[in-house]
This record gives sequence, C-alpha cells and structure tokens, in this order.
Amino acid sequence: MDAMPLLLLWLALAAPNLLMPRGEKALVLLFVRADCPISNRYAPEIQRLHAVYGARGIEFRLVYPERGLSPAAIEQHRRVYGYTIPGVADGDRFYTIKAQARTTPEAAVFVGGRLVYRGRIDDRYADFGKARPEPTERDLDAVLAAIVKGRTVLFHQTRAIGCAIENEP
Amino acid sequence: MKVVLLALLTALAARAAAVTFNRQIAPILFQNCAACHRPGEAAPFPLLTYHDARQHASQILAVTRRGYMPPWPPAPGYGDFAGTRRLSAEQVRLIAAWVEGGAPEGDAADLPPAPKFTDGWQLGAPDLVVPMPRSYQLAAGGADVFRNFVIPVHLEETRYIRAVELRPGNQKIVHHANIVVDRTRSLRRRDGRDGQPGFPGMDVTTESGAEFDPDSHFLFWKPGSVAQPEPDDMAWRLDPGTDLILNMHLQPSGKPESLQPKIGLYFASRAPTRFPMLLQLEHDGALEIPPGARDFSVSDHLTLPVAVNVLAIYPHAHYLGHRVEAWATLPDGRRRWLIKIDDWDINWQAVYNYREPVALPKGTQVAMRITYDNSTLNPRNPNHPPKLVRNGNRSEDEMGHVWLQVLPAKASAEDPRLLLQEAVMRRRLEKYPGDFVAQYSLGALLAFRGRQREAIPYFEAALRSQPSSATARNGLAAALLADDRLDEAIRELRHTLQLDPEYDNARYNLARALTAQGDAAGAVEQYRAYLKRQPEDAAAHLNLGRLYVAQKRYDEALPQMQIAARLKPDDADLQTDLGALLAMKGDLPAAIAAFEHALRIDPSHKVARANLNRARAH
Repeated sequence: MDAMPLLLLWLALAAPNLLMPRGEKALVLLFVRADCPISNRYAPEIQRLHAVYGARGIEFRLVYPERGLSPAAIEQHRRVYGYTIPGVADGDRFYTIKAQARTTPEAAVFVGGRLVYRGRIDDRYADFGKARPEPTERDLDAVLAAIVKGRTVLFHQTRAIGCAIENEP
Repeated sequence: MKVVLLALLTALAARAAAVTFNRQIAPILFQNCAACHRPGEAAPFPLLTYHDARQHASQILAVTRRGYMPPWPPAPGYGDFAGTRRLSAEQVRLIAAWVEGGAPEGDAADLPPAPKFTDGWQLGAPDLVVPMPRSYQLAAGGADVFRNFVIPVHLEETRYIRAVELRPGNQKIVHHANIVVDRTRSLRRRDGRDGQPGFPGMDVTTESGAEFDPDSHFLFWKPGSVAQPEPDDMAWRLDPGTDLILNMHLQPSGKPESLQPKIGLYFASRAPTRFPMLLQLEHDGALEIPPGARDFSVSDHLTLPVAVNVLAIYPHAHYLGHRVEAWATLPDGRRRWLIKIDDWDINWQAVYNYREPVALPKGTQVAMRITYDNSTLNPRNPNHPPKLVRNGNRSEDEMGHVWLQVLPAKASAEDPRLLLQEAVMRRRLEKYPGDFVAQYSLGALLAFRGRQREAIPYFEAALRSQPSSATARNGLAAALLADDRLDEAIRELRHTLQLDPEYDNARYNLARALTAQGDAAGAVEQYRAYLKRQPEDAAAHLNLGRLYVAQKRYDEALPQMQIAARLKPDDADLQTDLGALLAMKGDLPAAIAAFEHALRIDPSHKVARANLNRARAH
C-alpha cells in the first residue's frame, strides 16, 4: 500500500485552487484522456455513477492529465461524450501526483482529504483487448455505496486497464 | 593521445547506443502502425510525429511488449501470410530502450520521410458506389453490437467484380465487416424489424439459388486493410437484383454514433475463367461446451478430391474460442501448417492471404481444431457464471469455422468445384447422418451433372428427414422425370404443388411431365397457370405453342410462338418453328421472313433452309 502522507494530502487538497470538499461526503477524481478509447467507452458508466452518487453528496471531477490540452478542448470532449461532471486540466500533474494515478480511466476517491481508493472503475477490461461483455465487479460503485452508507472505507487499490498517463517532460 | 582516442570512441559508442525516435523508432512506427494510426483512420490517435509518439511512449511499450499491438494473432512459423504485421523481438527491444532512455527525439537528419497515404477510396474512384440506404444509430454504451445491413445494388446488367472496397464512414466504431452476397434477396424480409436498419446476428446465412454457384471470395474488411483487387479472370459475378449484406462488428465509443457505410465496386473487363471456391471446415453440431471447461475442442477434416491452391484462410469463433489450428496432411504423410492462433480474439478476426498460394495435391487431408475456454478464467466469457454453450449466431453462442479459399485444378472436363462440393457434402453426411442439407445437395449435384438416376435416392433420403420440403420434392420429381418415371414424377410434382402452390419451377416441371405422358390438355392447363406468373419465360411460351400446334389449335399457337420469338430473338429454332406455323396458317410472306431471320442467325440451319425453299417454291 502506498504510504500517502495524509496530512500533507489533506493540506494539498485544501490549497486555494483545489477542489475542496465543501461538506460533501467524498470526492471522486476520474482520470480520463480525450484520445483514449477505453477511457471514452466508460463515459456512460461514469455519468451513471455521477447520477446515482452525485445526488447523495459525492463530488465528481474529470481530471485531464494530458499536457497542453486547452480548456476549449476539454469542454469539447465533455460535450461530445455527454459529461455533466466538471472537468479539470491537470497538465501540471498536480492531482495525478496526489492520487498517484497512472492510467486512464482510473478513479481516485478521497474522504475528508484521505485517499481511500485508487484504481479501476470496474472489471470490464481484464487486459488490453480482453473485455467482458458486462463487468462482474463494480469496484468504484462499491466504494461509493459504502461511503454513502456511512461505512468506514480503508484504503485499497486495483489495477486499471487503459491508456498510460505519460511521464512527459 | 591514446586516452583522447579512447574517450572519443566511448563517446561515439554511447551516441550509437542511444535509441532515438528519429533514427530507430520512426521507421518502426511508420512501417507497422501508421496505416491505422493516422487522422481519419480507426486508431484512436496518430503516430506520425515525434510529438505523437512521445505522448504515448509508455503505452506503445506496454502494448508492443505484450504483442497486443500491432494486432497480428497468427503464430510465426505456421503459415506465411501477405501483409504480416508483427514486430520482431529486436524492434520491441528498441522501443523499450527508447522509452527507458527517456524517449529522446534525436537528430533531425535521421528522420525518414513520413509515409504517404491515399485519402478516401484506396483503389481510386469505384465504378459503382453503393451506399447503405439509411444510417444506423449506435448507442453510447453497452456491449458490442453485431448487425447485418441489407444493401440493394442497382445494376442494369450483370457485372464481374474484381475488387470491393468498404468505406465504413465512422471508422472508430467499426471493428470489422464482412460482405455477403445475397443472390436470392433472402434476407430482405428480416431488415428493419426493430425500427433501425438491418438485423442482429454475428453470422448470416443466405439461401442459394437453383444453380450451382458456390461462394468464391472473402469480402472482408478490417481497419488498416486495403482491398486487394483480383485479376480480371478471377472476378466474381454480380447480377441485377442482388443484395449485399454488410455484416458488421460495432463497438460503442462512449458517445452516440451514426453509421452509414458505402461499398465501392470495381468492375472487371470480362467474365472470369478461373473460379475459386470457399471450403468450410466445421463441426458446429459437436459444440456443447460444458460450463467450466477450459480445453473443449471441435475438429473437422476433408480429403481433397482434386489438387488445389489455397489462397487464403479465415478462422471464425466467438468469445469462448481460445486456440485455432489448421493444417494439411499431404498424401505422403507430411504435415503442412495452414494457421495457428494461440490466443484467439474475435476482435481481431481476419482473412489471411498466403504470400504464395499453398499447393495441395489431390488426396491431401485438410483439418482444423478449435479449442474453447468456457471457464471464469476467460474474461471474454459472455456468461457469468459460465453455462452450457452450443452453436448459434448470437454473441453468447459459439461457432467454430475455418474457411479456406481454394483455387481447384481442372483435372477433367468437369468443373472441379462440383467434385469439391460433393466431397464437402459427403463429409457433412459423415458428421450429421441423415442430414437434410447434405442429402439434398448430393442429389442436386448429381442431377446437375446429368446423373439423374443416382440422384433419386439422395432426394428420397432428404425427404425422409424433411417431408415438407417442396424444394427436395421438386428435385426428386425432376430426377424421376429425367429418368422417364413419369407417373411417379407427376405424383411428386402434384404433391410439391400442394406443399407450395406458388412453386413455379414445379409447375413448369409438371407441364413437361404431362406433355411427356401425352396429357396435352393437362399440360396446357399447367403452362397457362405458369405463364400467368412467369410471363417472360420464352421456353414455356414455345412449349405451349407446340402443344397447341400438336392439337391443331393454330390460332392459339401463333401468339405463343410470337411472344417466344420476341423474348428470344436470337434463337434460330424458334424462328423456324414460327415460320412453319405461319406457313401452315397460309401467311407465306411472314413465314419466309421468319425462315430468313433464322438463317441470318444460323446460315447452316438445314430445316430453315429447306422450309424457305419450299415456301418460296409455293
């Protein structure tokens, strides 16, 4: 398990330009790439989760780690894929590093600034080119369900299949 | 001095060792990736510049190291295929060294020119563009969609097709496509029943017409593939009134998508003289894959009655398919591999063309084995938990086919495809004793080859398994008729017409049979009924006309002969008959004109010449 300095993360997430939980139960960062087909294919599922859990006090953000992606390009991508979740440019990798995300699509869930989950949305993709017709494990859904029920969620992670977040100069 | 030289050499070695985009990586990407990874093509991002590659560097390493990209499932050493797209171990090592070395760009002077691609139709403007009539709307999410679109072709006359090119219109969602030729328009009735164009299903089967005209070409498209034109003498026939069925695998993209492909047809200058044929190895009837089974297999084999050249191979299974093997055992016992795929993936199914045709002598046995994984360890398993799976054309059913495109050698006067078809059907009968299709096809093949008497027991056997088949009963009757067993033929034809009163071919056969039996009145009645539905059939008009002549009903005979002559203006016999009838009715000028017409068509027509001389002498 990654030893995330919790206090530091909390402070970092509390920085002025950050998405600070405004009394919400939790914050979900969804790392996406505009040119990643696996990430894009998850758009309906991400919106579905938002429809279910957004109404129950969980905050959602799409995080675009691509360098040089303009706000207009992000807006265009959101519109085309029917996203109503706000998008955040992360070319400087602030959130990517905080969540230690490596792939798109990948989810990171924070409760009170504490990272409790990082990994796949579900297990539809077992590997590159190995997709199930339907997922059998809906990992992110389960984490969010536990949070809205008020359960304590301990940090865990899963391996996300998708497109690498490149470590560009 | 020595020290300086050593330092220089070390520096040079280090420079040589540094893998850069411009020197080593760009050639690999241009050669193996750019056909799809360029704007407007199926791949999600281009790989044409350093910037493109740098943005996806570790992804490129991950997918090439695992062999997922470029997609090329056949195992090396098991068939030599044209257009093989597989990176060598050295190329993968170079990519790894590049990424691990920080993915440097390198010296601009090292960069080779970017590959040039043609936009739009790859073979130039087609002779005929056939669009899908209406667009199909694909939902944003959900599982993959397998859909068949009916595309009518508007042709004035028969054409011979040397190439077919598909422009999917929306590359990102089309994973692969097959074009099926529906000569009898048998699938139209299934089109659009759910409100959208087409109908669902992974595989389609069309009904063949009455003639022997087996499928001959794979009309397959996948991203990055360029249509390969056939030589003109190996083109395939496309008749007016034919439908093309576009069988497509569509993948939702995350947003709603619209799809309206176009098919481009390229005509050959002449009719073909070489006729390939598609041979199918299968044993779908043995597909009963128990839940949890990891190593269930089906196999099939066929001994070739003629020598063939294998031109291409197309394996097909669904999501449980795991390993595909096909090979040939030569008459001397040697084995020659045709293909081996160790990790079957329906997403990358393809037709593989051999770089050189694989020559197989007569007596070679071709064989296939497909192994299935119906356990939970197979992530593609459509059933969770796994359940018993049989053959079928839904994605949750299975199939196991290996198709071979072969060009048979001509060993006798007979069309070698007939011998191949007979071998296929005899093998089918071994797999499925009493099978209707096999029995009927064997009967039809023998009848087609003029061996009517031998055909009779096969038609009878077909009818034992499907007594209500009007087609088989008509086939039996036609064979009995040819064998002069008139009473039985007439009984079977009347029975056929009870099963299907609109079966025109059976009614025509009944008219012929009654004529042969001497029941002219009965025959006239049947021909008249037949011609109400088939008024353009010259032979039926002629036969009816002759019946009237035999009954001395010349007034009724004349219009029938005239219609027949109009429908078949180039038939010397027909003109001669018409002339004779006109002469009998006393219209000598018209008779002379008809005889002269016959002689223009065939100057050596003795009867026309004799009749003309008699008419002129009158």
